[in-house]
Amino acid sequence: MFTLDSRLKTDFLGSVLKTPLLLPAGVMGISASSLLYAVQSGAGIVTTKSLTLQPRKGHDGPVISPVEGGFINAMGLCNPGIEFGIKEISEFKIKSFVPVIASVFATEPEGFVKLTEFINDSEADFIELNLSCPNVSAEYGVPLSSSPVIVEEVVRAVTDISKIPVIAKLSPNVPDIKLLALAAEKGGASALCLINTLGPGMEIDINIGRPVLKNIFGGMSGPCVKPIAVKLVYEASSVVKIPIIGLGGIMTGADAVEMLMAGASIIGIGTGIYYRGMDIYRKVNNELNEFLMKKDFKHIDEIKRINIDG
Amino acid sequence: MDKRISLRIDKIVEETSSVKTFCFSSPIDALPGQFIMLSDLRTGEKPFSISSSDSNGFSVTVKALGPFSSGMFAFKTGDFLSIRGPFGKPFDLRKGSILIAGGGVGVPPLFFLARELKKAGTEVVFINGAKNSDELIFKDLINELGINQIIMTDDGSSGKKGNAAEGLLNTLNESDFDAVYVAGPEGMLKKIADIKTDTYMELLIERYMKCAVGICGQCAVDPSGIRVCVEGPVFNQNMIRKLTEFGVYKRDAAGRKKYFEKAFSK
Repeated sequence: MFTLDSRLKTDFLGSVLKTPLLLPAGVMGISASSLLYAVQSGAGIVTTKSLTLQPRKGHDGPVISPVEGGFINAMGLCNPGIEFGIKEISEFKIKSFVPVIASVFATEPEGFVKLTEFINDSEADFIELNLSCPNVSAEYGVPLSSSPVIVEEVVRAVTDISKIPVIAKLSPNVPDIKLLALAAEKGGASALCLINTLGPGMEIDINIGRPVLKNIFGGMSGPCVKPIAVKLVYEASSVVKIPIIGLGGIMTGADAVEMLMAGASIIGIGTGIYYRGMDIYRKVNNELNEFLMKKDFKHIDEIKRINIDG
Repeated sequence: MDKRISLRIDKIVEETSSVKTFCFSSPIDALPGQFIMLSDLRTGEKPFSISSSDSNGFSVTVKALGPFSSGMFAFKTGDFLSIRGPFGKPFDLRKGSILIAGGGVGVPPLFFLARELKKAGTEVVFINGAKNSDELIFKDLINELGINQIIMTDDGSSGKKGNAAEGLLNTLNESDFDAVYVAGPEGMLKKIADIKTDTYMELLIERYMKCAVGICGQCAVDPSGIRVCVEGPVFNQNMIRKLTEFGVYKRDAAGRKKYFEKAFSK
């Protein structure tokens, strides 16, 4: 008998996940209890909001606006800061065995190294480097993941001292994702996470004559970005050997299957929460399991990058 | 919410020197207890409870507190505002004999509730609490509904002396009710949530909100992480009593715990 448990249970960098569904950085994740809520709803692994050395209140509102097929958002990296953030991770760990990824954001390698020192003293299972936030360019310029050289440098600086596996979160807003994926792998990343939000985009209110988002620009997420996410995961997985967390517009079990077939090892769901509730994780787990059962697959590994290359 | 819209302010009613009601002539599909996110697309964006809604339009009632709500006082009839929503779980309208207790800015959403209950032919007692007679709002509107209004002011300058929580306790002791609905400052809500009663009770609470669509986690409350913008802002008494942070702390824009200056006691 192959049950939901046995089909979906998966190994990710040495940790056993009950399901391959992940709560990505920036979604919920501001506190231990918000991470727990995702776990209660069926997520197999969760990510904190991107933590920075100092607390950040984020951009003023509006920080999000609905567009056709999704949202544009510019939260502006609001987070309680690394010191408070790792306390929330400890609190989460008291209540759950589910692995937690600590996402961190800095603007140069030294900042990432300092953040990694904090994470080394925390109970996080993995560290994810947010090299790709599209919504703070007014403060910091283009995201680090625009340059393969910088990506490799930052990843190497962190992997040199990190006690836990390092994940590089990459931007979709680049001419060739393969170069960035290879650079992260060469720098020593244990896994990749893609995609961060797309664009960014912009919306103008024609009655008020102002941009809708306070930050003017905001990254796009939701079902409208899925084809791009699938394409980039497919391309990245064609050149690297390390596992890929695939996300971007995943709403259903069918979407998750598509992402696995494109080459992802596990799948993130963020904006889908708006459309199908926090329960989306449980729903997608069931839909994914049903697909595998119908097609007589014993495990999700059997559909990873299936029949695409040949 | 699948769309964001911008609407013209059609009427502004000055309720007190620090409270104004902004009326819009476009209908919005809203229920009592729900809120909208309002922005001028310059200063910021904040959640506001809906203070009335029907086929002719809707309104929100705003107290000048922070930079955004204070800034709203410069808006004039004819100005456009950006609106997202309505959001959140509304009050569960019960039948029978109903007690409503509101303090300060908690009164507007409860007025909307009272009006809907009255439309359904329900018997309503409305406790309207304010600091003093100058800050009392919606007194005439509530009277016009033809329901029993009990006015409470902290200094006794209007109605009975005392706060809405005390008014509610006394009224609950005197008569039986089928349901109680409450909104107001957290100190008041905490006192009321701690009352031991078999009467069904719902409370409308406030937390810092950003996305209002359940994604960003800003308003997720401890210990369960449920979101005030989606699972709330109306919770029943049992759910409120399970919120370990209620009356103790709330999170700021960065997600840090900010403890209330004075812990609310019974």
